[in-house]
Amino acid sequence: MSQSTTINIKDQILNGIVKENTIFKLALSLCPSIAVTNNLKNGVLMGIAVLFVQVMVNITISLLRNVIQPKVRLPIFMLVISGWVTVTDMTMAATVPDVYKQMGLYIQLIVAFASILARAEMFASKNKFIPSMADGIGMGIGFLFALTVISFFRELLGKGSLWGMPIVHTKPVLMFILPAGGFFAVGILMAFFNWIDARYMKKSSHAAH
Amino acid sequence: MNSEFIKLFELIISASLINNFVFTRFLGLCIFFGVSKKMETAVGMSITFTAVMMISAAMSWVIFNFIMIPLDITFLKIIVFIGVVAGLVQASDTIMRKVAPGLYYKLGIYLALISTNCIILAVPLVNAGEKYSLLQSIAFAFGSGIGFALAMIIMASIREKLELADVPAPFRGLPMAFVVTGLIALAFTGFSGLITL
Amino acid sequence: MEATKKEHQLIVSVSPHVKTDETTSRIMWSVSLALLPAALAGVYFFGLRALFITALCIVSSAVFEQLYFRMVGKKSAVGDGSAFLTGLLLGMNMPASLWSFSPFTVHVPVIASFVAVVITKQLFGGLGFNVFNPALIGRAFALISWPKAMTIWSEPTAAFLAMDAKTTATPLGILKEEGVVKLLEVFGDKMSLYMHLLTGNRAGSIGETSAIAILIGGLFLLYRGYITWHIPVSFLGTAAVIAWVFGGKGALFTGDPIVHLISGGMMLGAWFMATDYVTSPSVRKGQIIFGIGCGFLTMLIRLKGGYPEGVMFAILIMNCFAPIIDRGVKSKVFGAVKQNTAKENK
Repeated sequence: MSQSTTINIKDQILNGIVKENTIFKLALSLCPSIAVTNNLKNGVLMGIAVLFVQVMVNITISLLRNVIQPKVRLPIFMLVISGWVTVTDMTMAATVPDVYKQMGLYIQLIVAFASILARAEMFASKNKFIPSMADGIGMGIGFLFALTVISFFRELLGKGSLWGMPIVHTKPVLMFILPAGGFFAVGILMAFFNWIDARYMKKSSHAAH
Repeated sequence: MNSEFIKLFELIISASLINNFVFTRFLGLCIFFGVSKKMETAVGMSITFTAVMMISAAMSWVIFNFIMIPLDITFLKIIVFIGVVAGLVQASDTIMRKVAPGLYYKLGIYLALISTNCIILAVPLVNAGEKYSLLQSIAFAFGSGIGFALAMIIMASIREKLELADVPAPFRGLPMAFVVTGLIALAFTGFSGLITL
Repeated sequence: MEATKKEHQLIVSVSPHVKTDETTSRIMWSVSLALLPAALAGVYFFGLRALFITALCIVSSAVFEQLYFRMVGKKSAVGDGSAFLTGLLLGMNMPASLWSFSPFTVHVPVIASFVAVVITKQLFGGLGFNVFNPALIGRAFALISWPKAMTIWSEPTAAFLAMDAKTTATPLGILKEEGVVKLLEVFGDKMSLYMHLLTGNRAGSIGETSAIAILIGGLFLLYRGYITWHIPVSFLGTAAVIAWVFGGKGALFTGDPIVHLISGGMMLGAWFMATDYVTSPSVRKGQIIFGIGCGFLTMLIRLKGGYPEGVMFAILIMNCFAPIIDRGVKSKVFGAVKQNTAKENK
């Protein structure tokens, strides 16, 4: 058990980023993937907020796992999650008020993220402190990565800028910062990752032969 | 009275068509993509969802205005509202199983899913933020439910059609669902500016 | 050479539509032929630029379709004419002013063609499976992505070779912004307004302006049996009634249905876009519901919405509902049987 801890942590983090990427692979918590990704800054901040909540929730649940009665575990998980979301919500309202104004509702709705509850239930409630934290970091970074990629493309294509700074000077495709364009962007990126996956699988199966 | 009635009507139209939660505010997407594969489940989900949402909006409004504002604990609204939703779902689960087992058999599975739908939490939050009256809150919840149902039913009918189609492999399933939703959202842009609230 | 040989060998097995291949392509080319009068009228009124834009749309549609087939390794079906028709319709729905190099807007028709052919048609599994009208999605995408470039309307009857012309507003734009009095002022009197609208001597997209030319094409399709009267008649009828009842200022029943029918994209939409086989219901009763919905939504957007013209959005929204309408109309026959068997099983 102990000798494989280091590998486990690395695997656990990678698992969240690549194999079980919340958005591209599990297709969970999709709402913010479109709602806040019309510019890079919002996308990254949202990703960080989720990363923070995910890690803190996993840590808290992991520490409390021997105290929580199994029968009432779900309400307690919800309580822990909404507690941390409230902390995040109020912190962001105080520190980045301009961003918060645009996406406050979506920050509050982190509560309803199936992925956070799922990790708490499936992983943190059964594992020790360190692996739980690693799991939270992996899932959170995977989410952050997905939001960063999506918002990178949407801001570049839709506004011709990145993090508010103009990059391209031709007329951008306004569509991509609008709702419909968000769906297109996510759909196309998902297909792209599927395609890479399929190629990778083909290669690895060839190698196995 | 008359203008109040018109305002309610406008709220319903606005929430269902113009500011449709799925197409313009991107909420409830997990359920939207997860449950819209078959028409039958889409319809069942929509009915259950609209009913639960109207009740939870009303309950949240009462709690928010009669308990939380007097006690000055509105900052706890996230925790309280999610509690209301979870409690309501649990209660209706139990009640339906006892009182209407036939209905429970049909719609029960959707009940469990509802608590992970962010629209059901967003509606009380918006109601509180916009300071809607009780009737307006219920109208908003109703409109949102109708809008969600509309989105689900359109999506289910298109996805059933797509099942027979030769969609390129990387796009099969969810990516295509996203592209379709984007196209529907594009069509629904036509409604913009219809009502300015 | 190799490829063509292979194609011939594979003809029987690849496509599920082999039996109707010839018919499909005949329909496509006939519809394109029916569009010719309207397209020629557009070129006559908006000059060489209109021709360039239309040609650009047709060529890019065909090229993107060919590239797509090459990429996924499917048998090329560019010859069936559906890419040509999509490109032609798309070009006819664009303003001629897009042919402009400063500011550069020539890429707009090209990207719109890509969206129309690849995203709206091929991703859905190709012709016969698309849910939305490709040309209309291409246009909606362009309108929303480049709202300014897509709404620069040049005055008709400028010199044929002119590469830029005075810009003006469309009749519907004037109607929306300044009202019917101003519209009559611009065109002289009522008769003159009707004549301008009928012949197509007014600002608008390349192929939508000439009501007469479109009508000729539409009647040709009707006569040859490629379309039926259900959608155009219910579409235009509903729109006319709503325009008459609610289109006037103040009092009911004072609106002018004729202006609404022959302005904007109403004629082109009702005869050529809403009647698309694939994206409209297949049952007659469903087609009438579809047409009524299109007419209603068009007038709703024109009279109450944020856009001056609603035809495109109305048809696209009804495209969403077409599968449901088909289901609803058909299930009266099949649904009853299904329910019975379900009960027996229990």
